[in-house]
Amino acid sequence: MAQSAAPQLLRPVPQAAPADGRRVLLTTGSSDAHTWNLVHLQLFLEEHGHSVLNLGPCVPEELLVDTARLTMPDLVVFSSVNGHGHLDGLRAVRALRAEADTRGIPMVAGGLLGISPEGAEQRRAELLEAGFDGVHPDGTGPEVLLERLAELIPLAALDPAGPARTERVAA
Amino acid sequence: MTRSIPAPRRPGPPDLGAYVRAAAEAGELVVQPRMGMARPEEMAAGVTAVARLPERTVATVTLDSYTRVGDHAAATAAVRAGRPLNGFPLVAHGPRVGARVAGAAGPATPVQVRHGSADPIAIFRTMTAAGLYTSEGGPVSYCLPYGRTPLAESVAAWRDGTRLLAEESRAAGTGAHLESFGGCLLGQLCPPSLLVAVSVLECLFFVQNGITSVSLSYAQQTHAGQDAEALTALRRLADELLPPDVDRHLVLYTYMGVFPRTAPGARLLLARSAELAVRGGAERLIVKTETEAHRIPTVEENLTALRNAAEQARRTRLEPAGPPVDGGEVLAEARALVTAVLSLSDNVGTALLRAFRRGLLDVPYCLHPDNRGAARGVIAEDGRLRWADLGAMPLLSAGRRTTPVTSDRLSLMLRRVAEQHDAAARQAAPEGRHEPGAQPEPGARPEPAAGAGNGTGSEQRPAPLRVALIGVGPRGLSVLERLAARCLEQPLARPVEIHAIDPYQAGAGRIWRQSQSPHFLMNTPAREVTMFSGPGDDGPARPGAGPTLAEWWAAADPENADPDGYAPRVVYGRYLSHVFDRIVAALPVGLTVQRVPARVLSADRIPDEDGGTRAHRLRLDRGDVLTVDRVVLATGHPSNDLDGPQRDRAAFAAGSATVRYINGDSAGEMPLKDIPPGASVGILGMGLTFYDILVELTQGRGGRFAPDGPDGLRYLPSGREPRIFPASRSGVPLLARGVNQKPPLHRYRARLFTPERMGAVRARGGVDFHAAVLPWLMAEVNLVLLATRIRTAAGDAVIGEAAVGAAAAADFTERATAALADADTPLLEPLSRLAAEYGVDPTVLADFDTLARPFRGKRFCTAAEFRTALTDWLRADLADARLGNADGPLKAACDVLRDVRQTIRSVVDFGGLTPESQRRFLTEFNPLAALISTGPPAVRSEQFLALLDAGILEPVGPQAVFRSDGTAGRFTVESLQVDSSRVGLDALVDARVPGTDLRTDRNPLIRGLLADGTIRTFVNSWEGHAYDTGGLASTDSPFHPIRADGAVERSMHVIGILSEHTRWFTQVGSGRPGSWGSFTRDADAIAGALLDGAMLEPTPLAAKAGTR
Ligand code: B12
Repeated sequence: MAQSAAPQLLRPVPQAAPADGRRVLLTTGSSDAHTWNLVHLQLFLEEHGHSVLNLGPCVPEELLVDTARLTMPDLVVFSSVNGHGHLDGLRAVRALRAEADTRGIPMVAGGLLGISPEGAEQRRAELLEAGFDGVHPDGTGPEVLLERLAELIPLAALDPAGPARTERVAA
Repeated sequence: MTRSIPAPRRPGPPDLGAYVRAAAEAGELVVQPRMGMARPEEMAAGVTAVARLPERTVATVTLDSYTRVGDHAAATAAVRAGRPLNGFPLVAHGPRVGARVAGAAGPATPVQVRHGSADPIAIFRTMTAAGLYTSEGGPVSYCLPYGRTPLAESVAAWRDGTRLLAEESRAAGTGAHLESFGGCLLGQLCPPSLLVAVSVLECLFFVQNGITSVSLSYAQQTHAGQDAEALTALRRLADELLPPDVDRHLVLYTYMGVFPRTAPGARLLLARSAELAVRGGAERLIVKTETEAHRIPTVEENLTALRNAAEQARRTRLEPAGPPVDGGEVLAEARALVTAVLSLSDNVGTALLRAFRRGLLDVPYCLHPDNRGAARGVIAEDGRLRWADLGAMPLLSAGRRTTPVTSDRLSLMLRRVAEQHDAAARQAAPEGRHEPGAQPEPGARPEPAAGAGNGTGSEQRPAPLRVALIGVGPRGLSVLERLAARCLEQPLARPVEIHAIDPYQAGAGRIWRQSQSPHFLMNTPAREVTMFSGPGDDGPARPGAGPTLAEWWAAADPENADPDGYAPRVVYGRYLSHVFDRIVAALPVGLTVQRVPARVLSADRIPDEDGGTRAHRLRLDRGDVLTVDRVVLATGHPSNDLDGPQRDRAAFAAGSATVRYINGDSAGEMPLKDIPPGASVGILGMGLTFYDILVELTQGRGGRFAPDGPDGLRYLPSGREPRIFPASRSGVPLLARGVNQKPPLHRYRARLFTPERMGAVRARGGVDFHAAVLPWLMAEVNLVLLATRIRTAAGDAVIGEAAVGAAAAADFTERATAALADADTPLLEPLSRLAAEYGVDPTVLADFDTLARPFRGKRFCTAAEFRTALTDWLRADLADARLGNADGPLKAACDVLRDVRQTIRSVVDFGGLTPESQRRFLTEFNPLAALISTGPPAVRSEQFLALLDAGILEPVGPQAVFRSDGTAGRFTVESLQVDSSRVGLDALVDARVPGTDLRTDRNPLIRGLLADGTIRTFVNSWEGHAYDTGGLASTDSPFHPIRADGAVERSMHVIGILSEHTRWFTQVGSGRPGSWGSFTRDADAIAGALLDGAMLEPTPLAAKAGTR
């Protein structure tokens, strides 16, 4: 009964063929402590054949950018529910877009991004403007991510040598 | 952010603890919101609105997430930009604004700051500057669920923060209150026992850091009945573990997981939490609103929730109360967890850290890197939260393995409470009359039943008998040796599997392990020590036949061995490991030995898969579970909770940067290296451990003893010694052992204190030791004293066959024995008169006190005067010792005590004495006997004298009193019999080895067994009197524990120090060559009983209730 250091529930139970699998970096806002959303999203995506690196709660921007640079994921999923998602999300996406290496990595947001439904449209516009490729309205379930991942062409496949990854995959 | 503005010292809000107590006395539930807004005006308005409600409320200031993670810049920026936050940024606003906001509650309503920060210091600084001293959280509960701060940092920050809060509140002349968030953690899917445990542990942490008013939290979970048990468990453990003067109450949180989406569903869940609070005896409730599932609520929504909750609480109070709920499984589990954690360190913070590192605490589904993440909770068929996987937690309730938690299953479990309540509300049940808490979901799948184990073996081979040997020091080893030896003689009908469990080296155990100072000596001559139950022969060493320690030592290390002397403890440790290896190498067919380097944390019983005997399940600290049929408890020297004075001393040292306190244990465990050279170190107790400490602080630091001193040795210091001030009740060290003159196989045959006579005494029942036993013992001692004088006075002159002296002594002995034989109570006077006829000194030894407490009633004007007297006394004792234990009259007499130990046991053990007599026996006779008959070899006394002479050792005097001197910041010690003997100490070492007392034993296994009634303490009762000895109650051979209900636990055995007080003088760590002593006989009896089980078909044990 070997116990790995990583939580057991994070072991993938793949259902889709790994060939279609994408590499997802799962992150949240630097002030967001909620993790059930992350745990659930990870399980869900893994069960659909994707591999997920889950950064856990309260992710500082530097950690996000560093990890993205190291792992070059196919998609960054920003999940926040504590109501600071729009503020933290702005910081996160700006940091990712500020680095040449990571600028081209697609990134989407969802969860509960504000503390109330008011101003949701404005938040969404602001986040897209700052560089998100998709911002899902509060309450959207994780299933939409599957479509998005299916549409994605892995960057690595596009350009195995991969020097200049400036173009974005259309969302 | 630091502010230099002085703290506004207006009268702060009232004390939360007192407020809740008053409400509880008035029979009302205190209700409180979770509420936080970014802007001060809004926050203040919210606080006022809550305070103005007619209900008993506490106002809340919940802080925002930036402040929680210490990102005050982001909070300030958001405030400036007018961006919404999810709470009140207290630090960014600063103490003035904070005080104004809290002041909005008015003078009668307490205000609590709730945050969620792993580093609360900035928040607490701002709070105290604002005159606020009531908050929430904890080193674990505000760390693991709230981010990625390392747990060690959180513990340190919470320690400092808690102390800050406590000190500042004291300086302000008021009290601080802290609530643990441990009852919530991640809000969902955590079985209640862990929530209860963390809540209790965090409150202990608060108290240890100076807080005197706490609340213990619990968050409503999935099953009303289980929740009620949890509240009971929380109350019970808090009352057991928190100091009585600490103010406490229980606070319930309305469900903290995914909330019903509909307003009626949310109201229903809130109402049920209010019911639970009232029924479960929580004094305060923190509510949730109808909008919980969607967004941060408005003030108005909060007020509605508070009113509804208070209303429901009143309704519930009017309903007839149900029967009191007991803590059930939640209590048992929570207690196991708390005990296991507390056994890791006296410091609760350290204990918590270690516990998470080892996975003893493991929060299910928590992603924090310092959480092991191996545990999982699930909602079982009956709606209760259960463990699906325990990881390494010391619990036993989860045998079941569940299907992996998929995203679907997780999502179902997370939504379950919400959906249940949404549905129930939709069916429009009238408010206030609901179905009980958790109905099984119609489609819910039952958990797969407990599987695993070795259920499907081949049918032909008999199942093995599985035996756990818990503790493999000399006692455990002796059982193993006899087991193996018996199996060599007689073939087994059924395989036997031994699990030899000890976290230390098998054979040596903790006390004799090889990682200890080479200067520590054994206390028994190497020639008198063996672990083999029979002498070695031409064949290889094997169970039943092998070398004594002296023989082995001489062969194993011919250069350094001193087989005629006393072996270092490390040498004995090596011998013990060797014996273990020899046994394992020579195992007979059918007997296997598994070495299990682990600690057993708890034990319980389960029905076997095949429905037969109830096997024992042992949970090990490394995470796995062992299932066995028989258990032998041989855990040896205990480690106990500190007693009052010890705790005070430890606390005094903890509060000081310079002073050290080292608590009583075997010297090998003590951090003696921490004592700096030249420091003044007091040593409490002058027994064997004292000598160990003494050599370690001198020889161990490079000093040497040269063979030319006035009393045999001279000490050559290394310069790295401290100054050593030993002290004890008697003021003198143990009496030296006489130089050994008896061959290893020598056995003394008593004349007066005979087994037969004592057998008759015992048969009369209700023995008074001092009246009926001690006089015979004194007579025997004096018989030997006088006979030896007579024998040695005549010198070695020989006439005919016999030595003149020996003949005279024999003659005296015959006549003296005859003279006293028929006495009811033997007097010493006739012995003395008779001895005078032989022309020797007829003075008798009237009692042991004279020997052991030579300075009783004497006064000394200076320390120097005392030391001179002590030196003279030691020299005299040494002179006696050099005469030998056969030819020295006094030492020969003292040796009687060792020789007749078994006869004393035969009267005293298993309740032979009356309760009052046993108490006296243990408190008066026992220490005296130790002083006289367990002393160290004479060389230790020579070393003592040399160190006295070198000025390194400065004994304090009799009746020493240790104090903690707050003003000088040091410990002090003085003797009440030596004028101006007071000295200041930089360090204090408690050199008393902890005695057996199950009630304070820190071994989680022992605590658990005691708590669930598998074992109990031996209470000596006789004619309406009772004396609880604290030792483990057992039957006579083969030593089965007696359960709390009086039944005999036949599948267990106990041997050695655990059963001290039930039996006498169990601290024997070796067998003797020659005919078996009780050490080997006890082991053999247990081995025999175990093997009986391997010959017979196992029978159900539960039904056999035994009697005493
Ligand atoms: C459990 C819980 C907690 C636990 C969290 C423990 C942990 N480590 O996870 C504790 C008690 C510690 C907690 C703390 C706090 N919480 Co909270 N918490 C909740 C609660 C009750 C349940 C959340 C949950 O477990 N959901 C289950 C998961 C599986 O679902 P989910 O989170 O909705 O995520 C799914 C979807 O949103 C979606 N999704 C998520 N991200 C993304 C991204 C994309 C791209 C897509 C497509 C989909 C998607 O898929 C996810 C998985 O299925 C919610 C209220 C509720 N929902 O009932 C409040 C809630 C989320 N918490 C809230 C708040 C404000 C806090 C606090 C700030 C305290 C406070 N002021 O009250 C602190 C946070 C501290 C911090 N630094 O962040 C608010 C957020 C308000 C808002 N957004 O408007 C909520 C809504 C409660 C409320 N009404 O006030 N909380």
